[in-house]
Amino acid sequence: MNLRKRSNEWMQQLVFVGPGMIVFTIIVLIPFLLGFYFSFTEWNGLDLDKAKWIGMDNIHRIFTNDDKFWAAFKFTLKFTVVTVVVTNILALLLGLLLTRPMRGRNTLRTIFFLPNMIGGILLGYIWQFIFTKGFKTIGEMTGWHFFELPWLGTPETGFWGLVIVFVWQTTGYMMVIYIAAIVGVPKDLMEAATIDGATYFQTVRKVIMPLVMPAITVCLFLTTSGAFKMFDLNLSLTKGGPGTSTQSLAYNIYAEALVNNRYGLGTAKAMLFFFAVSIIAVTQVWLTKRKEVEA
Amino acid sequence: MKKLSILLAAAILTLTAAGCGNNGNNSGSEATNKPAESANATTEATTTPKKNVTIKVFQFKVEIADALNRMAEEYEKETGVKVEVETHGGGEDYNALLKAEIASGSEPEIFNSEGYAALEAYYDRATDLSGEAWAKDVIPAAAGPAQVDGKLLGMPMNIEGYGIFYNKDLFEKAGITTLPKTLTELEAAAKQLQAAGITPFSTTNEWWSIGHHTINVGLAEQPDPIAFINGTKDGSTNFKDNDVFKKWINYVDVVFKYSQKDKLTTDYATQVANFASGKAAMIQQGNWIQGDVDKVAKLNVGLLPIPIDDSGNAHIYTGPANFWIVNSKSKNAEEAKAFLNWMVTSETGKTYLTKEFKFIPALTSIKPTADEIGQMGVAVSEQAATAGGWHWGRYPDGVPQGWGAAMQEYQGGSIDKDQLFDKLEKAIQEIVSK
Repeated sequence: MNLRKRSNEWMQQLVFVGPGMIVFTIIVLIPFLLGFYFSFTEWNGLDLDKAKWIGMDNIHRIFTNDDKFWAAFKFTLKFTVVTVVVTNILALLLGLLLTRPMRGRNTLRTIFFLPNMIGGILLGYIWQFIFTKGFKTIGEMTGWHFFELPWLGTPETGFWGLVIVFVWQTTGYMMVIYIAAIVGVPKDLMEAATIDGATYFQTVRKVIMPLVMPAITVCLFLTTSGAFKMFDLNLSLTKGGPGTSTQSLAYNIYAEALVNNRYGLGTAKAMLFFFAVSIIAVTQVWLTKRKEVEA
Repeated sequence: MKKLSILLAAAILTLTAAGCGNNGNNSGSEATNKPAESANATTEATTTPKKNVTIKVFQFKVEIADALNRMAEEYEKETGVKVEVETHGGGEDYNALLKAEIASGSEPEIFNSEGYAALEAYYDRATDLSGEAWAKDVIPAAAGPAQVDGKLLGMPMNIEGYGIFYNKDLFEKAGITTLPKTLTELEAAAKQLQAAGITPFSTTNEWWSIGHHTINVGLAEQPDPIAFINGTKDGSTNFKDNDVFKKWINYVDVVFKYSQKDKLTTDYATQVANFASGKAAMIQQGNWIQGDVDKVAKLNVGLLPIPIDDSGNAHIYTGPANFWIVNSKSKNAEEAKAFLNWMVTSETGKTYLTKEFKFIPALTSIKPTADEIGQMGVAVSEQAATAGGWHWGRYPDGVPQGWGAAMQEYQGGSIDKDQLFDKLEKAIQEIVSK
């Protein structure tokens, strides 16, 4: 009887977790382990049997003789800090705004969320058109300096171009999470605050903010890892250019492996990248988790 | 309700299972097909191809994409062999995409590669084509970059040349009567155009245009290009102290100075469109833009050699754009050979090559007429005898990309010419050094 029950449980696990596990193993775990191995080899990426074991040489090279990787690292950090701050402030403000009673609330929510439904590559091409053609035309018509800048043609405009599109794309998604959290704040607490004479600003700061802390944790995590891993937008919007001034880490890895023909070095970079993302994400979650409270 | 959802789940599961089963069957039948094909190949029954064969062509020339698709349809009508064309070029990084394609396990029957160093990675895939019927007709200069140990590893796609194409009508409008032969004259002409309210040059920030073509001018003008290139690889020569590159930078400056205002954000398509619509009078591009220009307007164009000094000794630069490589690791390599053979021997194929692709053929057996390859093609063939060569292919992949990035920075004014030369050298060392 007992045995039968246990095997039954096993069957259940197998049926429900099994397929997921198999897919996960095939498309995540195995490539990851392979990548770990290739990061110690010199390989052009074409034929598996030509990978040559060279030990720590790749890592050594990255740390001693690869300015572009570190430039990309710096760029990515800067990009992440800016986009995480801007996205979350904007999303939280939109969330607060769109939970107040107002006309057209649902329509506005949908509109803000829409950019998230379009893939990064496509967004990149659309915005490339807007920046290079649209902005130019507006600039010609109005003579405003902002639109007359050589958008995407200089390192600064390239950076801010990427920031604008990334923020535009992710804010809607974060907004939805914040809305869900704000709606979930118990009514009685809000009413109590109002009766105690708290202003709206005080309510937001003392009641809503502590209670939506879990949402902030989630959103910070999502935006941080998203910004750190940004690739598709980079590829389609600036291609890392002008020069290599807007090359994100992910793009640098791609270029090393597929443009320069050095898969081994590229995977070594990817491994470093993985550890960097993990450390940053875990630290961030740990920090914000401590601020969460129970209602 | 619960029952319904369980039913649904079960249905979905069985469906996916069925799907997997089907896939399995397919791969099984493919596997059984294979021996039959190779048997065919050994008996050289390439003249009667089977119906269910597909050749995949992975190619980079966006300019011919439409026409190539139409040619593929014709081939299918004639022989029953399906030709699938996948085009990645223009703004895309073709070489990276090809690598990704092959790394993903897909082995296209035919793909493009440049010669020299770029071909090295594909040595064990490139089939020796020196035994093919057309091989004896290939122009030696075009075959060079793909000749390794007496083997011909690819069919040259065509011959292409670039220089400075100019709009004759706009030159006339600006009152330019004698064509500029030196750099000083070129700048004077540019000033004259500007005075007439015409943008002198249409340039782009596309890495391959300013990376490959513009830098190649400096390479090809060296007294001994190969010695210079080898010197830059082992670090014994540099760009900064090189007389030719010292002059070359003056030409680059003239082009950038007299270009349209938004050159930093102009991609290839826009660059060509600006020239084609008469917004700019000159463009440093090759005869491959003919098709795109024709779509906009029938321009009256001429070709100027590129001057880097006042010696009057200027050239255009020609080479085989690319090679058709038959992939020996693909399933239908023999069919691919037959397709290439058809392309350069059958009347339909030849017509497409010259009339539709507007190619200057790399085979002596194909003789196009002037109106087939267009005005630009004719202009290139006229100056081909004195033309310089294409040398960037002698550097491994990654070097021209690095050059393109450095040139973009120079174009944007964020580095000066000494820094540019340093970066050009660094781009080589980053790839060449272990």
